[in-house]
Amino acid sequence: MKAILYGIGLQFKLDIRSKTLLVTCYLVPLLFFMIMSGIFTSLMPDATQTLIQSMTIMGVSMGALIGVPPSMVEIYSTNIKKMYSANNVPLYFGIFTIVISAFIHLMIMSFIIFIAAPIIFHASAPENIPLYFFTLALFIIVSLSISCVLGLAIKNQAKLTMYSQIIFLPSIMLSGIMFPASFLPDLLETIGKIFPATWGYTLLCQLDINFFTFIPLLIIFSISFILILLLLKKAQSES
Amino acid sequence: MSQVITLSNLKKNYGNHEVLKGVDLSIEKGEIFGILGINGAGKTTLLECIEGFRHYHSGNIKIAGNIGIQLQSASLPSYMRVDEAIQLFSKWKNKNLDPSLFTALNITEINKKLYYQLSAGQKRKLHLALALIGDPDILILDEPTTELDVEAKQALHQEIKKLSQKGTTILLSSHDMAEVESLCTRIAILNQGKIIFVGTTEQLAKKVNKKYSIKIIDENEEKEYFTSDIIDTLSTILEQYKLKNKPILDIKINRGTLEDHFIELSKEVRS
Repeated sequence: MKAILYGIGLQFKLDIRSKTLLVTCYLVPLLFFMIMSGIFTSLMPDATQTLIQSMTIMGVSMGALIGVPPSMVEIYSTNIKKMYSANNVPLYFGIFTIVISAFIHLMIMSFIIFIAAPIIFHASAPENIPLYFFTLALFIIVSLSISCVLGLAIKNQAKLTMYSQIIFLPSIMLSGIMFPASFLPDLLETIGKIFPATWGYTLLCQLDINFFTFIPLLIIFSISFILILLLLKKAQSES
Repeated sequence: MSQVITLSNLKKNYGNHEVLKGVDLSIEKGEIFGILGINGAGKTTLLECIEGFRHYHSGNIKIAGNIGIQLQSASLPSYMRVDEAIQLFSKWKNKNLDPSLFTALNITEINKKLYYQLSAGQKRKLHLALALIGDPDILILDEPTTELDVEAKQALHQEIKKLSQKGTTILLSSHDMAEVESLCTRIAILNQGKIIFVGTTEQLAKKVNKKYSIKIIDENEEKEYFTSDIIDTLSTILEQYKLKNKPILDIKINRGTLEDHFIELSKEVRS
């Protein structure tokens, strides 16, 4: 347990030292928030109603899908994996610490948006704050589970960037955070439902707990979790 | 002496290719044991089977004690500091690094450096330090001094000898024959998945029946004699010089290097 706690703390520090996660979890999402919020609220005054939710979905998706997978590739596609095995460090350690650390970073970034948006852009705060943060935590976990699949399945950074973008861009364009998903053609609207961002956005905007609205995210998470277990097993046999 | 590593009839295939064809080997406590072989002989596979990284198809491996492993190709996260790596692995092993090793391996002076800032030699030292956390009974070193400068190599050799004196069994694989010759108490030569020799370097020289070369340099000339019986031949030569009252400037005796004997034995096996 001591080793895991130390590992989480260490990973948090490594993430701060490595500029990638700082850029993708803080700098770009918060810059996007500042610029796009200004544009959205001046073009569509009603955007203040869902500004926190939409900017949070964008920030979490960027951090989880673009920022986190490179750290996993660094461990699982290099000799670090073998080095860990040689020194009694279990294979799940890398993925576990990266996920926990990224979860904390993404929560901090989301909290900054939650606090700053009402002050700077007069955005409406979510009515049910505990439900909002519970849903946010779930969305971050599901997004991170997809980043784990990407980080474990893809072996080189160039390919990873391509696949991350393939998931990230439609997540943002089709989820309804830039404009209502109902404006999209039926096919694109349906495709958008494959991505957690669409369901995350719906959940963050809801006022009451409705178990059925959680089901899509739970299904995505279950599939990702099974894939993670299979990919870890494969990584174990390769080391 | 007690045996700490015993391999019996170890076999390993990659598809249809048999890489280890029934390896039998016993390594005793406190030995510095070298594994030699040309590329593709099966050295890495053999070490990986012992380390537990690779499954073997049949045979048996018995290991008495805990193992520390220094891999040939190893790495750590770029932004991890040296002290953090030591602390992380110490926590996982639930044991600490012997404080004297910090000084011996010059770890103290690189403690706060990030992994990517280390030179190749410093990385090797760190990998060795990590392998030594918890004072392992058996230390497996795969090409431990590759990329090290002469000074660092010597320092590492001294450390390996000290560990052996303390009772640590060291299993070493290296392409550097001079290193193996100077460090190892016994060696095994692996050829096409089979052990073709186990013993000391002297026993290997005897096995390949390599003759001694005696080079005598006097004021006028340099003469070279070849013999299997060093004492008799040298006594006769010295007697002759004494009788002629001819002063000898230098005598050089050479029985060839481990590399010569290794090549000789490989040739014998091939023919």
